[in-house]
Formats: sequence, C-alpha cells, structure tokens
Amino acid sequence: MSTQLPEQTEDESTETDAKPTAAPQERRLTKKRDRAEEADRQRQAEEAEKALDDDDTYYLKVFRYDPEIAGKKEPRFDDFYVPYHKGMTVLDALMYARDTYDSSLTFRHSCRQAVCGSDAMFVNGQQRLCCKTQLSDLEEPVRIEPLPHAEVVKDLVVDMEHFYDQMEAVEPYFQSSEYPDGELEEQRQSPENREKVKMSTRCIWCGACMSSCNIAAGDNQYLGPAAINKAYRFTMDEREGEDMKQQRLKILEQEHGVWRCQTQFSCTEVCPKDIPLTEHIQELKREAVKNNLKFW
Amino acid sequence: MAERYSSFERGGRRWLWQRLTAAFLVAVLAFHFFLLHFVNHADEVTFGMSQARMQEFTYFSLMILFLLTATFHGVNGVYNALVNQGLSGTQETAVKAVLVVASAVLIVQGVRTALAWAGGVPI
Amino acid sequence: MSQSYDRGLVEDFGRWREFKAGMWAWIFHKFTGWVLVGYLFTHIAVLSTALQSPDAYTTTIQSLESLLVVRILEVGLLAVAVFHILNGVRLLFVDLGLGLESQDKSFYASLLLTGAIVVASVPTFLAGVFG
Repeated sequence: MSTQLPEQTEDESTETDAKPTAAPQERRLTKKRDRAEEADRQRQAEEAEKALDDDDTYYLKVFRYDPEIAGKKEPRFDDFYVPYHKGMTVLDALMYARDTYDSSLTFRHSCRQAVCGSDAMFVNGQQRLCCKTQLSDLEEPVRIEPLPHAEVVKDLVVDMEHFYDQMEAVEPYFQSSEYPDGELEEQRQSPENREKVKMSTRCIWCGACMSSCNIAAGDNQYLGPAAINKAYRFTMDEREGEDMKQQRLKILEQEHGVWRCQTQFSCTEVCPKDIPLTEHIQELKREAVKNNLKFW
Repeated sequence: MAERYSSFERGGRRWLWQRLTAAFLVAVLAFHFFLLHFVNHADEVTFGMSQARMQEFTYFSLMILFLLTATFHGVNGVYNALVNQGLSGTQETAVKAVLVVASAVLIVQGVRTALAWAGGVPI
Repeated sequence: MSQSYDRGLVEDFGRWREFKAGMWAWIFHKFTGWVLVGYLFTHIAVLSTALQSPDAYTTTIQSLESLLVVRILEVGLLAVAVFHILNGVRLLFVDLGLGLESQDKSFYASLLLTGAIVVASVPTFLAGVFG
C-alpha cells in the first residue's frame, strides 16, 4: 500500500565501485535495512488483519488523486480499515490511515478542534469538518472526498484561492471613518449590537458553505455565503459609521452579490459553526432594498 | 474575482419586483384557476362566455395586469435561473435581448386577444 | 502548479438521496417555474385564436378539452401551479425573515398540501371527458 519508491539501491552501486573496503559494511547495512523493511511490512499486515478481525473497525473509502504520479493521474478510491476507539473523529481516522498504511495520503489539518477551518471535506455526501465529525455518526463505508465545486490539487486538498478572492472582495476588516471625540476614547459597541453580529463572527473560513451552494457552483462571480456573512458582520457593526455601511452595501448590491442567493439553505445546513448564513444574507437583501427605496 | 461597478447598478430592483409580482400573482392565479375550472368549466368554454367576462372593465383590467405581471415574473425568473447557472458575457446580452422581445410579443398578442373579446377597451 | 482534476458537478443528480429539503425546494421551484413559463406562452397562443373568429376560438378550446391527454395535462398544470404558489409563499416568508427555523418543515407542508389539493380536484378536472 505504500507508494514510496525505494531509494537505497542507487547509492550502493556507486559506492561499491569507488570504495571496495566499504563493501562489507554496505552489505551489512543493506541486510539491516531489508530486515527492518520486512519487519515493517509484517507489522502492517498484522495490523491490517487485526483491523479486519476486530469488530470495531471502520471501513473508509478515500478519494486519491495525484497528477504527478503515474499511478494516480486518474482519481480512484482507496480502502482503509481503521480500528475504532471511542470518540474517534474522521480526522483521527485519516491520520491513522496516513500514519499506518499510506504516508502519501495528503490532506489539510491543523488545530483538530474546529477553529482553524483546514479540514473541511465531503464526507458521506455532505460538507463536514473532519475534526468535528464523529465516526460513530457515519454509515460505513465512510466516503471521504475533497470539497465539491473546487479544483482538486492532490488527494483531499482543494484550491482555496477562489474562496479567498471572494472573501477579500468584501473588505473583511474593520473600517471606520467616524472616531470618538477624545483621542484615547474607545469605539464603543452596545451589548445588543454585539449580540446581533455575534454569530457572524464565528466564521473559520473553512469553505464548506461555498462548496455546498449550487449557485456558487454555477456562477463564478457570486460572492458566496461566507463572504456575504463576513460583510454582514461589519455592515451591521454600529462602530463603523453610516458612510462605511453605504460603501459596504454597494459591494453587496452588485448583480452577483446578495441577489444571487436563492435561499437553498445548504450553507446554513453545513456550516460547522452553526452560523445562520441564509438569515444573514436575507437581512442584507432587505437592508439593500430599504436603502434604495430611500432614494425614490 | 467579484467585480466592482462604479455605476449604481442595483440588482435589487428586479429582485424586489419579482417578490411584489409574486404576491400579486399568488392571489390572482388562484382566482383565475378557480374561476375557470371550478366556477365555470374548461370544457364548456365558448367565445361568448369569455366575451361576457371581458366586457367588464374591472375584469378586463385585472386580466391585463395579470398578463403583465406574469410575463415579468416568468421571464425574469428564467433570466435569473440562467445567470445562476453561469450565463455571462455576450451570451447573457443575447439571451436578455431574446427574452425582452419574447415578452413584448407575448404582451402584444395577449392584449390584442383581450381587445378582440371586449370589442375595444370596455370603458 | 500541477494540473487539477475537474470532477464536474460532484453533487449531480446521482446523489439525490443526499439532498436536503431546501435543495429540493429550489429544484422543484425552478422546474415548476419553467413549466409555467412554457405554459404561459402556449396559453396565449391558444387563446389568440379568438383573433380569427369566435367559432375558431370555441372549436379550438372545446376540441382540446375533449382529449383525455389534455385533461390529464391540466391536472399536472394544477399540481405545478399549486406547488409553485405554495412554495412561493414559503419563499416570501423566508425573504421577510419570518419562520426561518422551520423552513424545511414548511417545504414538506407545501408538498403535502399540493398533493391534497390536486387529488381533491381530479374529479372536477376529469368531469365530462368519459361521457
């Protein structure tokens, strides 16, 4: 199952020609390496058997693709059997598979506590955060694929550049043109206002929502639920001032801004941070309409 | 990359009209169906009966309004569905033109038919 | 950068079992929308026989209505229109920000209500075609 290519043989032949006295040592070392490899293979086989025998194993089907390796240019699904322990997450399973069976299995992960947003993937037909998804909640075989509607770079890693472009297009940072009178005065926010934007601050940029939206899939210019939610977080923040709000609304009101949302609700369904995305987008639509009606 | 327009192109107008026409159509379409399938029966339709209805100014104007709102709602819906699927650029402009022309034809033909029944505008 | 693989529409119809309520609502609303627009154009075309002569109009409509196929299509039209109206009302509520927590339940409710109304209307719609 390992796709690693053996590298030792090349070095040996050149060295034997150059230094005849080093040959016995080389032979010993080669034998030692071979024994280690043999032991390793046996261990893997035993683990696999144990995993198969064990009732508590989970059967994983993982999407594999690598444009740089001859055998993996056509995508395929690899089978992994991982021993289950209580509380095991999909991320745990993937890490086990990578560490035990195939170290070339590639996927993003970092915090393993649902705050970094690295490991969003398509698990059993839904966008999920792997570190937050319990294996016991899933039906076997557990199908793990990279996020839909994104270009696959390798195995489970997708290109997130388009997602980041859309996020940046809404100016996802605090901007205020209104400052309080005293120089060292804080910019205050009422508890009610904070409560209003609270849910929208939870976004971890995982990309699950954008991946689940059929409109985002079809229309490349659509800002997407994550970007609009980010814009919501700042538009609704009372510290930013009225003209800032107008500027933000202008971005959101374009043809491919909030209006493209068809209230499919998939984004709200898949968000791992439970952000009511559709609700925020709808609120922004109403804001935009009210804003425009004022000019008539 | 999301585009930023400097002109005040507000996509909100069509969105709002789609909802307003929707609310209107919910009532009027239900009424239309009810009147023409339950109160009267579709298999008993005659020119005379349609004429009788159309000669009432209230009914006549309601039907004209019905035609206009339904055309807008439907054609705008189709246009949006296509944009959502990725229609853009020259294709988008071409489709927009075709839809506008089709709507115009539909409205003209509908109004002509209504006038044929009513024998002129029934003031 | 290595070439990336185009998996196409991963969530294509093959995965319909994984679709949630909101997605079905969107699909059905679009589908019924297209059908209704198609019907609108056909309807005006049929009605405009009134421009030829009163008899042309009456004969066209009554001969169409005597065909069983047309009657059944009318039931289908009713289903399509009723669903589009009911789901449309649901969408109007969503747009107003009311009842977003039960958006999936309201979709199922519109499906059920559509079914009920269609079934209840079948006798009226098929009346007289078998006689």
